[in-house]
Amino acid sequence: MTAHFKPNAAETALIDSLEGAGGWRAQLRDATRSCGFPTRRDEHWKWSDLRRAANDVTHAGTLHISGIDGSEIVPDDGAHVDLTTQATAGASAADVTLTVKAGRRITLVERHVADAGSLGNFHVKIDIEDGARLDRVIVMPDAGAGVFIASTDIVLGKGADICQTILDFGGKLNRCETHLTHPGDGASARLDGVYLLESGRHADHTSVVRHTGPGGTLSQLTKGAVMSGARGVFQGKIIVERAAQKTDARMTHRGLLLGDRAEIDAKPELEIYADDVQCAHGNALGAIDETALFYMRQRGIPELKARALLIESFLTEPLDGITDEALRGELMTLLRTRLGAIT
Amino acid sequence: MTAMLEISDLHVAVGDDDKPILKGLDLSIPAGEVHAIMGPNGSGKSTLSYALTGREGYAVSGGIKFDGTDISDMAPEDRAAKGLFLSFQYPVEIPGVPTLTFLKEALNAQRRTRGEDEMSAPDFIKYVRERAAKLNVSTDMLKRPVNVGFSGGEKKRIEILQALVLEPRFLILDETDSGLDIDALKVVSEGVNALRSPERGMLVITHYQRLLDHIAPDRVHVMADGRIVASGGPELARELEADGYDKYVRAA
Repeated sequence: MTAHFKPNAAETALIDSLEGAGGWRAQLRDATRSCGFPTRRDEHWKWSDLRRAANDVTHAGTLHISGIDGSEIVPDDGAHVDLTTQATAGASAADVTLTVKAGRRITLVERHVADAGSLGNFHVKIDIEDGARLDRVIVMPDAGAGVFIASTDIVLGKGADICQTILDFGGKLNRCETHLTHPGDGASARLDGVYLLESGRHADHTSVVRHTGPGGTLSQLTKGAVMSGARGVFQGKIIVERAAQKTDARMTHRGLLLGDRAEIDAKPELEIYADDVQCAHGNALGAIDETALFYMRQRGIPELKARALLIESFLTEPLDGITDEALRGELMTLLRTRLGAIT
Repeated sequence: MTAMLEISDLHVAVGDDDKPILKGLDLSIPAGEVHAIMGPNGSGKSTLSYALTGREGYAVSGGIKFDGTDISDMAPEDRAAKGLFLSFQYPVEIPGVPTLTFLKEALNAQRRTRGEDEMSAPDFIKYVRERAAKLNVSTDMLKRPVNVGFSGGEKKRIEILQALVLEPRFLILDETDSGLDIDALKVVSEGVNALRSPERGMLVITHYQRLLDHIAPDRVHVMADGRIVASGGPELARELEADGYDKYVRAA
């Protein structure tokens, strides 16, 4: 059946641009060739119809990467890596490999910008060796009306730590997809995210965490605020294999709907095959607390300022995981500035 | 001469079905005086406090004049900047906003609205600490998010602290004694009494006479079914405590 699939212009452009590529880009090319881009008929993409979002893409583009040398990086202990990508109009894809050597501690800050008319695909394969730690921050500033898919495969070693924080202002369609293989064994993972979307923007935070060994901890907190005409998507799946006894995994998603036509779709999933685990997930959507809004206005704080303060106080908690004070401050400033611009 | 707060023939309807709650209320409070409104549950006391401060969802007709200006169409924040302050019966929790930040935002927002200079951070800290000390509000409480996890007594002390910081020209105290034990009631009352001045007016809304032992009113009004049905001196409060509201409810 898939043999008869006819790619559209965007798919053809991506397939052609990846001719002769290897590794992850070859997989992307072959998957696109046989099935095309995912659509809402694909369970994992039902709220993020990529084929539709990329329908204005007709040619190949470029995914510029700066801040690193080569596509396989092995930073020194204590390194702070600033990686920036920019997708120009058209379809493009690139991937890098990051290895955090045993015992090292690395900070990786990624900033992804997608120009109007772009479809950028960026993949990072991350190997965090035994006893190593990665602090990873992903910023998706709203620079245009582009489509950007940032996907990651992370493998954690024994006693290794990952702390990932996403700050996402959406795009025509943004998707941050994180796949994590968690060995248990003293390793810990924290996957947090914030999205703040004005009208016309779409952000999708998807994660799949697979616990393969005993005693692993995982904490996930995503918070989003969405204005009328925007859409936020949260899909979180935690798989606990039979061997992963004593896993402690928590996943929370909370969304704030800021208008009548705001939309948030969430699907938290637990798939547990071990019998002695502590796993919990929570998902709650709500609107601005009108009582709190009146209380603040009664004290003299103008309505817009009061709303911005309430939204800010709702959204900031996931940023608390960022241990680098300066970096955390920078993200807070980005968030405040963005709030000031759209409320 | 007009009073500081002049309410005339006030009608307020609430909810989607516009249920009438206040039905032609008249009240006049001069600067320097403390008036109490007493009334049974459901007589419209809290509705009055929200209508005066401009809460959405309260359809108001009739006159609310503050310092001679009709404020009935003004936004809540503009009424606040003019000096109207409501101490809430149920103070609201605001997770994520430290009390100190909240106080600073409120004070400086009011100052901006009035065309005054903002207070600098060091001056502000000193200014708040002096006032917090009077109400036994600790530095730790000031750092915590507004009202989150505070006891009933702590919340009411924070309400009065806000009044001391914002120095409003007119205070409405809505059931300020609810949830207070006797010690907290004393601290809160002392805070309120410290605010009494010839330039400031107060409206104390209460179900029980107890609060009025600590905050002595100049005038007492009885409210029933959305109107003022009797007015008198402080002795009226004691009469109500002894005899109850029955005769007024029947009369209304």
